[in-house]
Amino acid sequence: MISKVVRRLRRFQGWFGGLAAGCLVAGLYLGLLASPPDYYQGEVARIMYIHVPLAHTALLAYTVVFAGSLWYLWKRDPLIDNVCHAAAGLSALFTALALVTGMIWAKPTWNTWWTWDARLTSFALLFFILLGYLMLRTFIDHPEREARYAAVLAIVGFLDLPIIHFSVEWWRTLHQPQSISLRGVSISSGLLIPLVIMSIGMSLLFAYMLILRTQLLYLSRLLETKRGRLLSQFHFSKADP
Amino acid sequence: MFRHVVQWVVWKDLLTEFRSRETLSSMLFFALIVIFIFSFSFSMNQQAAQELIAGIIWVAFAFTGMIGLGKSFSAELQNDCLEYLQGSPAAKGAIYAGKVAANFMFMLIVEIILFPLFVIFFNLDVIEQISLLLLIFFLATFGLSAVGTLFSALTVQIRAREVMLPILLLPLVVPVMIAAVEATKGALNGDPLPMYQQWLELLAIFNVVFTVVSFWLFDFIIDA
Repeated sequence: MISKVVRRLRRFQGWFGGLAAGCLVAGLYLGLLASPPDYYQGEVARIMYIHVPLAHTALLAYTVVFAGSLWYLWKRDPLIDNVCHAAAGLSALFTALALVTGMIWAKPTWNTWWTWDARLTSFALLFFILLGYLMLRTFIDHPEREARYAAVLAIVGFLDLPIIHFSVEWWRTLHQPQSISLRGVSISSGLLIPLVIMSIGMSLLFAYMLILRTQLLYLSRLLETKRGRLLSQFHFSKADP
Repeated sequence: MFRHVVQWVVWKDLLTEFRSRETLSSMLFFALIVIFIFSFSFSMNQQAAQELIAGIIWVAFAFTGMIGLGKSFSAELQNDCLEYLQGSPAAKGAIYAGKVAANFMFMLIVEIILFPLFVIFFNLDVIEQISLLLLIFFLATFGLSAVGTLFSALTVQIRAREVMLPILLLPLVVPVMIAAVEATKGALNGDPLPMYQQWLELLAIFNVVFTVVSFWLFDFIIDA
């Protein structure tokens, strides 16, 4: 019973982990050593090979949470809920890392750690929504209700993201013409190839971590129910002489 | 059938409010204090007031709205009313619609009482723009209550619900806040409508999307 789900997941685990490691090593080598430095920004721009894949993967992870939440509300499969929970935690992690690497990149290029740019602001709000999601889960004792409420929050948050993005973009562009905007993707293939490889590698890393976390959450849920059953058995055997 | 349930829920909420006067009085008093705290903390002259007033108005409205929204479902916990709502054969969407209507009314009543106070305390000139301002209040308050009612129901049965409602709700209603502040600022400055019309459109889009989505998702929250 335990091993059926876990064994099925473990079969993919090694593949994802290995491919992720391969892509990330190749991408880092190409990005940090083999590719030419950026014409305007020089060596500083190399943080792009970490920052952009992190941001992509954060959004990919939240998309997984959204799709899983819809699926959960439809099928009510607790394993899907574990996937959502795992993906939400990873999405929060990747969002936080994307924000931090973005700040590190912003300091030398824009000469500020933070600016109320549309993308930065919507990413910060995405982080808040995900933290709220994870917090909500800790505040509900009933597992089935926890899954249901978390799914509702994830769906509302996902549909809200484009509206948040547009509103923040209009808000900024209305006030002042943007003196510093994120660079467009007019980028030479020497820089693009490592970026694509890093993005694929980061997504595979996410998949690998998702498999691990899902197993962990699945097993701890199983343990919880087993322990509850054992405790109640013990209770009844004592009550019944 | 659907319409009757909506009417009864609204009537029930209005009647309990009329008898206890808990929600409206606490919202009003809280908002009044917020206005004073703001004017102390910014020590405003006329020019600064012009710049900041739209934001202050909407922070005050949103925070008082939180109080009303929080009470909307926590009032149902007394005498297990919530369980009867869950167990009732009425369409859950109708309960949601009734609650949204009641919350919307409470918030709008508070805003209509408060706004003249802003006009007096901050010496605003609003006579010509009053219909537009009312439209902005109407749209933004509807957006807040449409999402807020869903999250009021979501947080009522969990631990630390008083904290969790604003934590979950405020990031999601950021578009409403930005649009309401920008549109109010435009209206108060007497700008021509096309300059801030897009914010009204954004509010309308938000309202349509999240009324439909919340209406659908409410089923999953009240599900017993």
